[in-house]
Amino acid sequence: MTALLNRRSPAGDAEKIGGRSTRRGIGGGTAGGWKQITVNQAFLLPAIVVFVFLFVIPLGQTFYWSLTDFTGYSPETNFIGLHNYKVILTDPSMLAGLSFTLLFGVGTTIIITALAIPLAVQLNKAFFGRNFVRSLWFFPAIPSMAILGLVWRYILSPLESGVLNSVLKTVFGIGPIGWLSVDNLAKLSVIVVGVWGAVGWHAVLYTAYLQSIPDDYYEVAKIDGASPRQQFFAITLPLLTPAMVISTFLLMTGGLKVFDLPYTLTNGGPGFSTYTITQSIVVSGVGQGRYGLASALAVLFTLAVGLLAFGQLRLTKTIERRFT
Amino acid sequence: MKRRPLIIATAMAAAMALTLSACGSGDGDDSGKTTITFLSWTGEAQMTPVLDAFATAHPEIKVETSYSPPVAEYIQALQTRVLSGTAPDVFLIAAENKTNLIDGGHVVDLAGEPFLDNVAEFNQETYGRDGAVYGLSVSSWAAGYAYNKDLLAEVGYDAIPETWDEFLEMCTKLKDAGITPFLESVDQMPTTISSWVGAQGASMSPTLDDQIFSGASTFEEQWTPALTEYNRVFTEGIMSKDVVGLDGDMVRDEFANGRVAIINAGPWIIAPVREAAPDLNFAYSAIPGIDGNAPFLAGAASPGYAINSKSSEAKQAAAKTFLTFLSSPEGVKVYQAQTNDVTVTSDFDPPVDEAFAPLAGAIRAGDLYLPMISWQRSEDILNVEAVAQIQRMIQGQITPAEVAKAMDSKLAAS
Repeated sequence: MTALLNRRSPAGDAEKIGGRSTRRGIGGGTAGGWKQITVNQAFLLPAIVVFVFLFVIPLGQTFYWSLTDFTGYSPETNFIGLHNYKVILTDPSMLAGLSFTLLFGVGTTIIITALAIPLAVQLNKAFFGRNFVRSLWFFPAIPSMAILGLVWRYILSPLESGVLNSVLKTVFGIGPIGWLSVDNLAKLSVIVVGVWGAVGWHAVLYTAYLQSIPDDYYEVAKIDGASPRQQFFAITLPLLTPAMVISTFLLMTGGLKVFDLPYTLTNGGPGFSTYTITQSIVVSGVGQGRYGLASALAVLFTLAVGLLAFGQLRLTKTIERRFT
Repeated sequence: MKRRPLIIATAMAAAMALTLSACGSGDGDDSGKTTITFLSWTGEAQMTPVLDAFATAHPEIKVETSYSPPVAEYIQALQTRVLSGTAPDVFLIAAENKTNLIDGGHVVDLAGEPFLDNVAEFNQETYGRDGAVYGLSVSSWAAGYAYNKDLLAEVGYDAIPETWDEFLEMCTKLKDAGITPFLESVDQMPTTISSWVGAQGASMSPTLDDQIFSGASTFEEQWTPALTEYNRVFTEGIMSKDVVGLDGDMVRDEFANGRVAIINAGPWIIAPVREAAPDLNFAYSAIPGIDGNAPFLAGAASPGYAINSKSSEAKQAAAKTFLTFLSSPEGVKVYQAQTNDVTVTSDFDPPVDEAFAPLAGAIRAGDLYLPMISWQRSEDILNVEAVAQIQRMIQGQITPAEVAKAMDSKLAAS
């Protein structure tokens, strides 16, 4: 059909015809149009049902619980207004959790993006053993972060017998270093392991987009005398912005929801230095039977993540429009 | 053709109804047995021999058992089932859920039941309130100090001293001899602090926790001396501040490899240490006392078997038969053989590992204290706060008194 339209008229006319056809469908006016609309809408139904049952209803239920003293053991609850919200906003441990969660979410997003793009460019070049190297980088994305956290806990052990400390002592004669026992080093360790675990996956994502950039652009650029650096900033980077939108969105939302890695690597410590909001929700809800409080935290967190994600999408879309 | 979806829907509904009816089977089955459900805290491999022995002794009762590992997963599984009205007839009441289970009226009062007659008073009180008993706890656990006899001998000691000052003096000698003297994991409430608070409260009436939770006293008043003494191992350079980044397994591995002389430990390290270092010459000791108090242990009664108050009378009666077996010498013997727990029933003497034997008497006598199980409300909230604040104290960020004040604030807000 498209081919036929293209044969009968230039591309612009084809779009015009297509557009008119769509408008007629939307505007209605014929029985066939309504039928088409109904069929089209029916395709949305499964997604809407899933969205309502798995998101809207649980979210509404969570909001309701956030206004109660629900313990998780009895459906009988008391309405306590905004008390849970007040507790959260005055609790130092919750605020510490919020601080590290933001640091992890923003930090890993920036570092992984900064590393994954150059890595993808290198992995996209032809060299011996390329597929093996790609697999090596992708490997950390396969096991659960909880498993990686437990393994890295032994590697980063602050004891002299810790794997990394043993290497540092043997090779450089330094240490032992308290990777997990000093506040800032523990934060850094969690972020570094988070970056290590995800950079390969995002590099593969960028590689897929790199492969869709036509070679012609680079050939023309070379003819025009563009250096590799100029090619990267004038061709590669702008054409990767759609991938950056997806990658950074996934990184930011995943980073803000992080639980398994800090829980297994540092258990939120030392003190509350690597405590996360999600850990706080789990500990308060499951561990302490304070589902009302955990629900209030979840509501606030959902709003915060939503706002951040929305802001980030707006920003990346603006950048995308600027470069493409 | 158009009927097919209706038929499929009908079949599915029938299948669901059958499944549901199977789930909600009545008090007895076709063979005349009474069936009770049981959510086990102990693993399947260890619990199966116990259940087999019960099945042999009581063929008229069938126990349908499901398993969930402790602690968080078990608590959540039970909580979900309680909330949905599908709680098992017999389940475990533990430190983490006892307040919610008792407050919610989910457990039967077992006080006066004959199967409690041989159970230590300490274990009955742990899972009781106001004279009621809500769990059958047949064993207890404790943690003290495990020490490497050979390393201690190098500085002229053959046992852990009885006072904290003498202990620190010994640790200094070990350190001077190039031996790492002491490691204690602080990813949970430190064993040392628990034992001191327990020793301090052992002779108090009303109890230390009664005073704190009634508002007559505070954590700041009761806990600051113990926290201050504990902080000395860090301020005097005896224990590395890096312990805030270690867990119990890491500390155990250091001990098994002979890299540290003394660690805090319970009986759970015996098997892995013996496997990793069969020739390691070690033993256990109670924790040296402070302020003239005798050495004491951190520990508690093991989780107790509780009966669902929503179960039918017939199932509750069958559940009581099950609990009667579990507290009988025969039942305790099978259970102890599988778990190696120190059981506390008066009519069975449990065999105890030679290294752990010095602690067995105090365990069976109930001379133990664990804050989390003795606190009267907000147990986990206070525990999480205390552990985090103690880690901050170790790092030198706050004082011992500030740790205790933070606990007071948490209690007031919860």
